[in-house]
Amino acid sequence: MTIGTNERWTFHLRHTLKRYDDALLRQVAHKLCKPRNQWPVAELLDRIVSAFDNLAMVDRRLKEMPSACRRLLSLIAQSRQPRWPVGSLVEILTALGAADGLAPLLTLLESGLLLPELYPFGEKPPEDKHTGRGRLRDFSVWLGRSEPMPMVLASPVVTRRVLREDLGIECPSVTMPPNSAVHEGDGLDWPLRMAVLWQQALGTPLRRTQQGGFFKRDSDRLEAEPLLSGVPTDVLAEVPDPGFFAAALALASGLLRSEQAELRAGDFPSAWSNALPALLGNFWAALPHLSGWNPATGQAPLATPGNPYPSACLLAMALLARLPEKAWADPVVIEQIVGSRHPYWQGKPSSPTGIASFLLGIAYSLRLVQATKSDAGWLVRLSPLGCWALGLSDQPPTAPQFKQTLLVQPNLEMLAYRQGLTPSLIASMSKIATWKGLGPACTLQLEPSSVYRALEMGESLSSIVQLLESHGMKALPTAVLDSLRTWSNKRERISVYAAGAIFEFASAADMTEAIARGLPANRLTDRLAIVARENDIDYKHFRLTGTRDYTLPPERCVDVEPDGVTLSVDLARSDLLLETELLRFATPIDQTGSPGKRYFQLTPVSVLAARQHGLSLTNLQTWFVQRTGLPITSAAALLTTGPDAPPAQLRRLLVLRVDSDALADGLQQWPATRDLIAERLGPTALVVAEENVALLLTRLAELGLNVEPEPV
Amino acid sequence: MIEKAPTRIPVKLHRNVALVLTEDALLAEELLAHKKLAADIVGRLSDRVLLVRAGRVDAVVQELRRLGHTPSVL
Repeated sequence: MTIGTNERWTFHLRHTLKRYDDALLRQVAHKLCKPRNQWPVAELLDRIVSAFDNLAMVDRRLKEMPSACRRLLSLIAQSRQPRWPVGSLVEILTALGAADGLAPLLTLLESGLLLPELYPFGEKPPEDKHTGRGRLRDFSVWLGRSEPMPMVLASPVVTRRVLREDLGIECPSVTMPPNSAVHEGDGLDWPLRMAVLWQQALGTPLRRTQQGGFFKRDSDRLEAEPLLSGVPTDVLAEVPDPGFFAAALALASGLLRSEQAELRAGDFPSAWSNALPALLGNFWAALPHLSGWNPATGQAPLATPGNPYPSACLLAMALLARLPEKAWADPVVIEQIVGSRHPYWQGKPSSPTGIASFLLGIAYSLRLVQATKSDAGWLVRLSPLGCWALGLSDQPPTAPQFKQTLLVQPNLEMLAYRQGLTPSLIASMSKIATWKGLGPACTLQLEPSSVYRALEMGESLSSIVQLLESHGMKALPTAVLDSLRTWSNKRERISVYAAGAIFEFASAADMTEAIARGLPANRLTDRLAIVARENDIDYKHFRLTGTRDYTLPPERCVDVEPDGVTLSVDLARSDLLLETELLRFATPIDQTGSPGKRYFQLTPVSVLAARQHGLSLTNLQTWFVQRTGLPITSAAALLTTGPDAPPAQLRRLLVLRVDSDALADGLQQWPATRDLIAERLGPTALVVAEENVALLLTRLAELGLNVEPEPV
Repeated sequence: MIEKAPTRIPVKLHRNVALVLTEDALLAEELLAHKKLAADIVGRLSDRVLLVRAGRVDAVVQELRRLGHTPSVL
């Protein structure tokens, strides 16, 4: 069943009631629990929630309801689907003869037996919608909404109580012709097609247009792919556009999920781990939510918000449920009854309802109905599985199991005999092999890509071998085993950690100790180990000296020592990239300093090696600003640019040192001495060329400036 | 007698790290020789461990698959 557990239901009920206006909540409580006193709102809310545990009270309220309300709830119970669009329920009520299709719905909402879907069922309630103006005040206003179509929820606790309510409609029965055989499908056709579709969507998701149709490429795939579009082997009437039906059912039952206008393959839903009847019951419950396909015309992108087919198909099955035991019905007659009562087809007698096609095609292939041949054509009745799906019997039918159903051949092709297939086997096979043919014996191919896919989905070599051996009719051929082993080993050659947690230990001994204590880590270096999932870490063994997020931008965590070439790394703030960056142009050194620091030094050799690997001055300048917050040091720049500088000159100079910079300025300005000064080295130091010394001394003597001779 | 709890091991944690771990150094070199892959590798923790640029792990996995590798994505 697609309905959730009681806890999910109670949770949703409570959060929906919180979105009611106080007056509306009191009104609902008054009708459902009939409190004698004026209780606070919180207390009323608790009472409404607990009322659903009081079956006697639920029965009393149901008995007080008009029969149209009980009939509607009965049909919802038979659908196994607790979530219905209001439009479909109005159609059902009208088809059952209610004069006003909305009035019973309003009555049920006001009495708390139906719940408006104010946020998606099964999801976490949004935070901001239950205060002030966001509260629900009036059901009739809410029901009048058209876009999006309002949806209502019916608690299975309530609907089950009126499951066998008289619907006020009868199905004309036909007696079984003598000596005619009873036909029943095996129910595997759609699970198999959906598995094929799942594989295809895994590789290339299906893209949808804004109108709800498929893009041409995907439409062509659904229309032309033989495994999806081939005529089902197990139907008595044509199913139009079977590929589109498979896609619609896969989406409605949760095998495909809609993500940003794409239909993507999700995990196989839990229903696939059950027996086949339970999965088919799940598909029956999903049928009301089919979109983009109907039994009359096949694929049909929704032009209008309403969809008459879910209510029509439910009515048809409910008519079959009214048949006496062992009686049969003519699907054409059922189509006529539904067409004449359903408001969508009233006044459109020539428009096909597709009901006969639904019964003989979809319902038959889903094992919901049995068929027998009469002179006039096929007759149908509910199958044991159909009776169980509609709630008319307690236990689903059981079938003999044939566990050994696979034949794995040395050429890696597999035959899967249909009678032994179960939903969980189909799901497992879909992961490890590619479907190549569907029929009484289905064919699959083991391929490197399919085995790789299975391994990526959590399977292992041993689990694959175990699956093939446990379902195999013969021992697994050695060639197959070898191929599986080779493909699995190939996968072990490269591991990609998408968001791992790296532990950086102070020493190799610490890392060994951590792994001995159970850290599920993979060693990367002598001090680094990685854990794929952070949730697997037991932090009680560790004291975190620092935490860095790899996705954050680099942080300043390096100080430059006065020598300009020694860099001290603050280990608490450094990240993984830093060390790899530093090792490109610096060498780690042993230097005692502050604890929590690690030292690196730029040396001519380390910088030269970095330059040979493409490091430029600009790279280093950027790095210094990013990591130290300061421009590159002169020493570091010297190491980097030194080899590129023009040759330096080494020579002796005669330096005239004067007492003040004012004197030096004067000598550089006075025309008599200006041309005799070759260069100024500093504020008070002037270079004099050897050949100008005598003349300069003369000029200085003229000035009266004494010059002390150079000490010998 | 109450048993003394083992001391906690000091450790620095690097979260959300994306990296490629190869079976041997030769394979790492082979990957680095691919221009497109090398552009998304920002560092090397050891001869077998390549650090992937943050946010580029999907592209790296896709490229590895395109090159015929079957990486185990953890």
